[in-house]
Amino acid sequence: MLTYFVLTPIVIAVFLYLFSSNKTSRIIAIVLQAVFTGFAVYLLLQTRQLGEVITFVGNYEGLLGVVLRADMMAAAFVLLTTVLFLVVSIYSLHEDNSKLFWLLMFIWEGILIGIFLSRDFFNVFVLAEVATVVVAVLIMYDKGKRSMFDGLVFLMANTVAIQFYLFGIGYIYFLTGVLDMQVAAAFIANLDREVLILPYALLMTAIAFKAAIIPLYSWLPKVQGIPRAPSAVAALLSGLHVKSAIYLFIRFQDVFAPVASTEFFLIIGLITAVVGVIMAVSQVDIKLLLAYSSTAQVGLIIAGLSIGDAYSYIGSLYHMINHALFKVALFLIAGVLEDMYGTRDMRKINGIFKKDKYIGIAIVLAILGITGAPLFNGNVSKYFIMSGADTVVNTVMILINLGTILVSIRFAAMLFGQADESFVGKKTAKSSDISIYFLGVLCFVGGIFGEEIMSFLFNVHFQMSFYGFIEKLIILTASWIVGLLVYRYVLRGDRNYKIFRRIRAIDLNFRGICFSIGAFFVVILAVVGFLY
Amino acid sequence: MRMMEIVPIVVFFMGMFGLMTSKNIIKSIACLVLLEMAVIVFILGLAFRTGILPPVGQSLENVYSVADPLPQALMITAIIIGLAVTAIDFTMIINLVRRYKSTDWDEVKAMSTENFDEC
Repeated sequence: MLTYFVLTPIVIAVFLYLFSSNKTSRIIAIVLQAVFTGFAVYLLLQTRQLGEVITFVGNYEGLLGVVLRADMMAAAFVLLTTVLFLVVSIYSLHEDNSKLFWLLMFIWEGILIGIFLSRDFFNVFVLAEVATVVVAVLIMYDKGKRSMFDGLVFLMANTVAIQFYLFGIGYIYFLTGVLDMQVAAAFIANLDREVLILPYALLMTAIAFKAAIIPLYSWLPKVQGIPRAPSAVAALLSGLHVKSAIYLFIRFQDVFAPVASTEFFLIIGLITAVVGVIMAVSQVDIKLLLAYSSTAQVGLIIAGLSIGDAYSYIGSLYHMINHALFKVALFLIAGVLEDMYGTRDMRKINGIFKKDKYIGIAIVLAILGITGAPLFNGNVSKYFIMSGADTVVNTVMILINLGTILVSIRFAAMLFGQADESFVGKKTAKSSDISIYFLGVLCFVGGIFGEEIMSFLFNVHFQMSFYGFIEKLIILTASWIVGLLVYRYVLRGDRNYKIFRRIRAIDLNFRGICFSIGAFFVVILAVVGFLY
Repeated sequence: MRMMEIVPIVVFFMGMFGLMTSKNIIKSIACLVLLEMAVIVFILGLAFRTGILPPVGQSLENVYSVADPLPQALMITAIIIGLAVTAIDFTMIINLVRRYKSTDWDEVKAMSTENFDEC
């Protein structure tokens, strides 16, 4: 059964590519996508009932063949993938994209579902490599100057990182004789710690690169900031592509439980979040602001997963889903604004409320989600992430949330002010509005029914305590006040600080990216090997 | 550690060094291919023992004398993927070289990012 989840989108894509070209084919694609989402819900219900759905590809049982397994977490992410691709297809309905765009988007969906379902080291390698190629073609398909160059850097840097992964797989196969993750985990539990250090460091270097952790994050904003790259691609890159790497991070931390270093990733996650926030605040380009903000959220998620507390762990899983929802919404909004105003410079975009009330409300919904306002989904997940943290980590996380609020205020500042009438922008298509609203409503629903959704997706029953909720509310209100004051007196207007210009100018070239990959590998090897 | 493991590791980090230092795009690709080849030789070498037979056309009476076919099958896949990715890399490089008449990372970058709004 699970094989069809990987193959169906690809088969649909190829059929549509071959046999039709007009708008009806897109509508057929969206209808099929909706049906497919229904099947993902069915899979989730099935895993709730059975615990785990297993498919032996090619009917080779035992350890002979490749295994696809869907547990609750995998099924939840498959559902997320289908929902987001449905939303993004509706958003792209009016855009005049070529057939190639739709073909690649659906193939990308199949591959991401494959990564979520696969439990085979080598299968993941192949899928990750194909996903890289698909994304590279998607971002450079307008053949612009920037997109060609950045696409080349993206493709080559990803290939370098994936070689570390392949190297690690070789070691695993040598040590255990299997490539199945669960069986390998059983063997690894009985192995000496020393022999596992090198494969762990190799695999984690590749995963950290794919998940855009400091210092390996620079490819993500580079790719998302390409002028005229489709907004849908940028949205899904930080919404899903990066999440698939974090998902692998979770799996590999389990597989390598004897050597897995949680403290290292806790610290590096917090550093990633702090740096991401600082980078995001200093941007003036909407998409770059969102890209660095997703780096910050990834850092928060990685830190939450590494705290070692059940509440933080589940909270981080829920935050992965929430972040996917509001970040995709914000990126799609950014795409709409780019069309409306003809620019991505936030200083030139003003008065959205006066120009288009509906987009303004959608922005408010998404921002309330990302800052963790009460009744919105970010509140629930951030509450649980912080509830497991000790005082120091908690303080850092409150500061990170303050940074997120600052970033959001910069984004929200575009809502007000006098709209510059000189820009004759396009009117937004109805389909784009619908898709963005749908995500905004999901953010709201995810907040109100947060505990119910968590128990439905992950089979855990957590309750937010009333006292903790009030405490968080006070901290959040204080953060908003501080954020507004900082914005009013420090950031507002066209004040162009030298330090912000310096930060904006930070840009790793290809040599720098390779150096940071090598450096990260050496550091993680040293930390895991010598410090324990 | 055997020679079969040491040599690929040395080659791998030679490739990494090349990637960190070379200013030319073509050289970077060469180093990338070196990296891939090092990994492939490493994984093939791990399964190698002297005296083993290829797993094709032999009677499988003594299984221990037959080479493990799995790393070879996997590495064929890895080689094909590497070939495809290298081909795409070169397609993009040809495009860049035709536009800018240069294969220097910094020069190409400077030319492709200047007044990027009109691309």
